Amino acid sequence: MKESFRQSMAWLHTWTGLMFGWLLFAMFVTGTAAYFQQEISRWMRPELVATADPVSATQAALGYLQTRQPDAESWFITPPSARNPVTEVFWQPKKVEGQPPTRRKRGETSATLDGHGHPVTVRETRGGYVLYRFHFDLHYMPVLWARYLVGVAAMFMLVAIVSGIITHKKIFADFFMLRFGKGQRSWLDAHNVTAVFALPFYLMITYTGLVTLATQYMPWGVMANYASTDTFFEEVFPGRADVPRSGVAAPLVPISPLMAMASRSWGGAAIGFVQVANPGDSTATITITRAAETAIGARGESMVFAGPSGTLLDRHAPEGGALATQSVMVALHTGRYAGWGLRWLYFLSGIGGTIMVGSGLVLWTVKRRAKLPDPAHPHIGFRLVERLNIAAIAGLPAGVAAYFLVNRLLPIAMGNRAEWEINSLFLIWAGVLFWACARPQRRAWVESLSFAATLFAAVPIVNALAVSRNMLTGLMTGDWLFVAFDMAMVTLSFALGWAARKAARVTPKAVRGTRRKNKELTAA
Amino acid sequence: MAAHPNRAGIRRHRLHVLARAIAAIIGGYVVTALAVACLARLLPMRAAEASITATLASFAIYAGIIVTVFSARSILRVWVGLGGALLVLGVGLYLSILTGGRL
Repeated sequence: MKESFRQSMAWLHTWTGLMFGWLLFAMFVTGTAAYFQQEISRWMRPELVATADPVSATQAALGYLQTRQPDAESWFITPPSARNPVTEVFWQPKKVEGQPPTRRKRGETSATLDGHGHPVTVRETRGGYVLYRFHFDLHYMPVLWARYLVGVAAMFMLVAIVSGIITHKKIFADFFMLRFGKGQRSWLDAHNVTAVFALPFYLMITYTGLVTLATQYMPWGVMANYASTDTFFEEVFPGRADVPRSGVAAPLVPISPLMAMASRSWGGAAIGFVQVANPGDSTATITITRAAETAIGARGESMVFAGPSGTLLDRHAPEGGALATQSVMVALHTGRYAGWGLRWLYFLSGIGGTIMVGSGLVLWTVKRRAKLPDPAHPHIGFRLVERLNIAAIAGLPAGVAAYFLVNRLLPIAMGNRAEWEINSLFLIWAGVLFWACARPQRRAWVESLSFAATLFAAVPIVNALAVSRNMLTGLMTGDWLFVAFDMAMVTLSFALGWAARKAARVTPKAVRGTRRKNKELTAA
Repeated sequence: MAAHPNRAGIRRHRLHVLARAIAAIIGGYVVTALAVACLARLLPMRAAEASITATLASFAIYAGIIVTVFSARSILRVWVGLGGALLVLGVGLYLSILTGGRL
């Protein structure tokens, strides 16, 4: 490599960005949506209106579990919170001697309860959780592979950011530079502005993203000091070893004083999680874990009480600067601690990142089209990038819009309803990929973007026809979730529609200009 | 890496990129892994703390190595550098394990 340092970095930026650009785009879209995971879930279960008191709801959930699952190994309860009105419970069924634990379907070992401990009747959906999980587990593939793939993509992103910063000499000056209607120059400006706009955010989000799964990607720091990662976690987050049931029945103490005590000792913080081991037995223990929403870096603080007496047995708080740093980094990534203002800032930065990756992908083709020997008939690699760009940038948003739409359209009583909601997302996405391959490139851009815009525009309309909560009723009753959701859908629809218009207008000029330049070149 | 005009040039260019990519991705990962393991054993703090500190730094080390590999003047320098780091870190880790202490 005889070129300058900056030239080699520009090359590195171009290719690391392209290699995983489509996956990174999808990770940005779903990750950004995941900042409103709970709100999306609430919108997708419009039947849920009542809010509940976390303490009495937890007590009621214990009653439900006592009646239905008295001999389970453990119960797990997530009390309702400001962002989620229901109590989520799941349980670990009793182990059968000599048999490996069987894989059970979701729903067989979990339930969603209201504040009085009654199962709620809502449409079957996975809500925002699907988008959150796709961000790092993808779908239709083993989780472990998905996480490696996502990790490699994140590492490419980190290298692309570092080399991008080195390539870009006038970061500050270019921030004020956004020239519209200038073809390639405009794409570069769009890429630069969105990149510089939230640069610290991208660096932070990429690095902390890698940290969330660091012990999988880089286990060697742990392996150097411990026999396995399990023994390490055992030391850092000590759980109580499984105690066999004594067989002596003993009822649990009321949960309210324990929750109050735990909350008090954490400065009034909310309870995130309640776990009961060996319920109904004299060996029962109750573990209360602090909510992640209440403080940055509050991971894993918990108190353990004896089930029958309520005496405090143990309390855990991960100690040490490095562990605290790791907790803060994970919290910075997930943003669970964020209030409304900060949450919207996270969301907007995520949108910025989505545009940065998308414009970078488009820039790759715009830049190369000018240099193609025959711009009208590009080679196969170029065409592939072009089509995948359309499928990723227009296809996934269309899929997400479809996911929201089918939530309102599928029959409530349909079997495997939640599965079909998810399948719809991927079917529409695949459909756009197919369309992008079948149509002429420019038409494919216009049509796919218009399609996605139409789907987003349809969400508020279909919602208003299907359920009784919408933007208008929301404005009248102060149901802000439905106001904000409809506004977000309309905004996304306008943004995609604007992009479709741009695609219809700008591209032919750029191509014509390119052809002229080529003619001049051949003439010279 | 500018485009080369002739076919042989393109071939050479591609091989060159492949060599750098292997050095950066695989060589870089191995060196990072050894560096992280050494740090985890040698940092003067509790074992859990040292392990976490080293792990947190790992991605910065890896990214630094990748950038350096792609900006180095020749592939020879890259392999000499990576080989040297491998040797030093490997011996360091071996001695640390040999003399006992943590684990």
